[in-house]
Amino acid sequence: MGLLTVIKKVKAKEKEIRLLMVGLDNAGKTTIVKNLCGEDVSKTSPTLGFEIKTLAHNGYKLNIWDVGGQTTLRSYWRNYYEQTEGLIWVIDSTDVRRLEDCKRELHKLLVEERLAGATLLIFANKQDVSGAQSQEDLLKALELDKMGERHWRIVSCSGVTGEGVGKGLDWVVEDIAARIYMFNN
Amino acid sequence: MYTPDEVLKFKKPTEGFCCSLSDNKYGIEFLEFEIRDYDTSKSVFKISKSDAPDLSKLSLEATNGGSSVEDLVRTVRYKLPKEFLKFKTVRTLLKFCVGPGEVPSFRMIERHYYKGELLRNYDFTFGFCIPSSTNTWEAVYDMPVNSQEQVDDMIGSPNEHTSDTFYFVGDKLIMHNKAYFQYV
Repeated sequence: MGLLTVIKKVKAKEKEIRLLMVGLDNAGKTTIVKNLCGEDVSKTSPTLGFEIKTLAHNGYKLNIWDVGGQTTLRSYWRNYYEQTEGLIWVIDSTDVRRLEDCKRELHKLLVEERLAGATLLIFANKQDVSGAQSQEDLLKALELDKMGERHWRIVSCSGVTGEGVGKGLDWVVEDIAARIYMFNN
Repeated sequence: MYTPDEVLKFKKPTEGFCCSLSDNKYGIEFLEFEIRDYDTSKSVFKISKSDAPDLSKLSLEATNGGSSVEDLVRTVRYKLPKEFLKFKTVRTLLKFCVGPGEVPSFRMIERHYYKGELLRNYDFTFGFCIPSSTNTWEAVYDMPVNSQEQVDDMIGSPNEHTSDTFYFVGDKLIMHNKAYFQYV
């Protein structure tokens, strides 16, 4: 096994999946990604652009695009829709005051043509914090009754403790893999 | 001016740089770069903008060494611990900021050579960058499995492992950096 063998290995087409992670500011997107990567979640600052992580997960190469959620940044989200196979929407389950904003922004994404085929995972984050709404209550508030053909699921989680985070990612990756790579195996 | 397709055909390190510093019209600036072992999280290289050498020192060196300041600020000399050559997986982190305008389609192509021959190629498209944003890209790579013989060869050949990194906005080359690696 020499250096040339290695070049071939690197060149071999990897199964790539592009995931876009959005949601209101302070929803906990970056903390969730850090948790997925086994990193320290104690210090996270507002994302003022994007944070991309590429990681291997169950034989797939994931490119996770975590884009900042501040009001001024939201109008730029549309620049990241192209080629997105999975959409991860993160909710701060304790932020009852902004649930209406959260619903409005999510519904904007759901009518986007370029995201029409994307699998949707909703993380009901911060379940470890007292006062967190249950996923049932969040679903009711978000009025997600007209989802049509879309593959979607809501998963309760905590980016801080890691509870539910892996389960959500496993589901979204499996769902996308079954759609996209079904005939390539 | 070179396009991504042309750069992807390069089979050896370029002589000099393929664009000038002033081609970076988007105010893209690197703030931090770090290389870590994925398995132990041990950091083997870290540079941030704050510890970049200041230009006055560089111009002195330039006068002595004969290369231009422009070339020196675009050249990185990595001194990596030799255990790097035995790492299975490596994690790199790049942090950069962009100027007040939109960057429509940002892409990096990095070509690595050993003793003048192409070793591997990295090609990553960041895509759109938000005006005045700070962005990070963290990637995880599987490393080549090197025999002891190869490891020894690389340790004994400082600066024979080199790389050319090209940054494009659309099809336009805006930055070109070179790196030299030695393992100690």
